Amino acid sequence: METTTLIPTGPPATRPRRSPARLVRAAAWIALAVLLAALPLYIDTAWLKAGQYMMIGAVGAIGLTLLTGQAGQLSLAHAFFLLVGATAYTVLAGPTDEERVIGLGLDPGLALMGAVLISALVGLAFAPVAGRLRGIYLGVASLSLVFLGLYFGQSLDSLTGGTSTGRTPATFELFGFPFSNGGPEIEVLGVPIRQAERIWYLFLVLTAIAFVLARGAVRGRVGRSWRAVRDNEAAATAMGVGVARAKAGAFAVSSAFAGLAGVMTVLWFDILKPDESEYGTYGINVSIAFLAMVIIGGLGSVPGAVVGALIVNGLPQALTLFSGDLGWFGETGGGGLTPILVSSFIYGAAIVVVVLFEPGGLAAIGRRLTGLFRARPREITREETS
Amino acid sequence: MSAPTLREDLVELQVDSVTLAFGGLRALDDVSFTVEPGTVHALIGPNGAGKSSCFNVISGVYRATSGRVRFGDTELTGQRPHRLAKLGIGRAFQNTALSPHSTVLDNVMLGRHALTTGGFLSCGLRLPWTVRQERRHTERAVEICEFLGLGKVLHAPVAALSYGAAKRTDVARALAIEPTLLLLDEPAAGMNAVETAEMAATIRDLRDALGISILLVEHDMNLVMGIADRVTVLDFGKRIADGTPSEVQADPEVVKAYLGSGSEDA
Ligand SMILES: Nc1ncnc2c1ncn2[C@@H]1O[C@H](COP(=O)(O)OP(=O)(O)OP(=O)(O)O)[C@@H](O)[C@H]1O
Ligand SMILES: [Mg+2]
Repeated sequence: METTTLIPTGPPATRPRRSPARLVRAAAWIALAVLLAALPLYIDTAWLKAGQYMMIGAVGAIGLTLLTGQAGQLSLAHAFFLLVGATAYTVLAGPTDEERVIGLGLDPGLALMGAVLISALVGLAFAPVAGRLRGIYLGVASLSLVFLGLYFGQSLDSLTGGTSTGRTPATFELFGFPFSNGGPEIEVLGVPIRQAERIWYLFLVLTAIAFVLARGAVRGRVGRSWRAVRDNEAAATAMGVGVARAKAGAFAVSSAFAGLAGVMTVLWFDILKPDESEYGTYGINVSIAFLAMVIIGGLGSVPGAVVGALIVNGLPQALTLFSGDLGWFGETGGGGLTPILVSSFIYGAAIVVVVLFEPGGLAAIGRRLTGLFRARPREITREETS
Repeated sequence: MSAPTLREDLVELQVDSVTLAFGGLRALDDVSFTVEPGTVHALIGPNGAGKSSCFNVISGVYRATSGRVRFGDTELTGQRPHRLAKLGIGRAFQNTALSPHSTVLDNVMLGRHALTTGGFLSCGLRLPWTVRQERRHTERAVEICEFLGLGKVLHAPVAALSYGAAKRTDVARALAIEPTLLLLDEPAAGMNAVETAEMAATIRDLRDALGISILLVEHDMNLVMGIADRVTVLDFGKRIADGTPSEVQADPEVVKAYLGSGSEDA
């Protein structure tokens, strides 16, 4: 046993914070950012749309991995909060003078933030239920929200526009700059920067913000309190964590991410259209897809959630686009294999493989790979905090 | 025993006529004792005597049927349990209650929760003061880990540790709240002789280096007699003895309770 005394010490010695590994990592991030920023100059609109759809998945999945992976609360309500965010944005930013539907005419930027806030508050309202249930019971209870969303989506047509026509969301604008084909003509290297490109950049920034926020939270005090509540409530309490509060906080944060994904969804479709059945844009299938993303990525891992989203939301898009080029799937409506069906099989199989062989998901595989290049046994520190 | 440098902010813990009934069963029956500032106080008794129940009443997990617990001038009975950390009461668990996949340091840092601030946004945005706070408290957590001989496994997941090291991580986490009173529930349970001796040395070091009060529940009589300043003995929920280790050991009631229950530890 060391004989250091444990009397509280003065200010800590500053440690050198710049190591080669850090520089490599920073360089990799910069390279990725440059690549993603340059993509619209090289790929066509259809692929840009596919990429945007993956980013919607990424934002939602990050929120769910915080809730289910970090805080240990199984939720199937994610699609409901997408609907909340989508509706809130459309209503807040909608024109005030429409006959059939309500609009508050807010600035779209404010409307986006308002929609995220409203989603968080709705999540908070569900927290008392979430705090009392756990595991599969919470999963089932949260599923009821999806049905609630289905009902309200249909009945509150002055907000949602109703299932038959839906309603068009206001064009997103920042400081008067529209994310549509209108406004100033911009051209970079001969490529016009129009709606698809503008939305790409918008989504890229939103995804980056979501990622950075989530990662910081996971590594900090909040993330620790979530993991503590997940692993042992008695111990968490003894360490000063208010369990009910931590759980409610996780639910609100996760709902906020889902709400943002919802706003992105309406901007992507350029229409808010509530589902006619429990299977649709805001249906059970979407909740399950989000769960698939976070399981494939590794529960609790933020980068894992992003990669999971690329797979689960990306596959159907990519297959559709490729099949268009290659004529894989034959005629549509033939009752045969569709891109969506095939990708469902693929990610279903991926879940089984993950659960059987690597419960840590892609995050664990990634850690093992990066560990190969590292002499110090430091990567285990990232076990839960990546 | 060397005279520890007592911290000035120490206060006594008074357990005052506490009764805890589970239906007809009286897990605690009018139990009173006082943990004097800066002492190691042991709570012993045969299986089912009510030791853990007593801990749970003190830490607010169970609500006493009657009686009260006071920490200095603060009434603990009826406090919300998560407030105790802020009052300076740290707790280590009978079966280590750590996050197995998180690292030792991450687990110990949880103990800094009540001493730090910051919610989702300030952590997420890595505001300068949050970063500074995190760094400062990490330094301290590392110091505590090193004190407990965990310096080499700071970044190892708890699941990869030996049982003894996991137990010490649990103690380190309780220390990380900078307690003036440390509650240890069977710190040597399941340990071999070497690990038990190490744990005894650690507890003594803690008292001497930090000058805090320690209330410990323990089965291992030798451990208790070696390190405790004072011992309270429970049997069937009743206090049957209270005194120095040698007084208690000589007490016929205690001998009877331990022999009668067939415990090997006495
Ligand atoms: N939650 C509970 N509900 C009902 N009875 C309980 C509960 N907790 C403890 N008891 C009973 O109270 C009595 C005291 O239990 P306690 O766990 O406090 O004993 P202990 O001294 O810690 O024993 P051990 O040495 O086995 O840890 C036992 O008879 C036990 O069965
Ligand atoms: Mg016990």
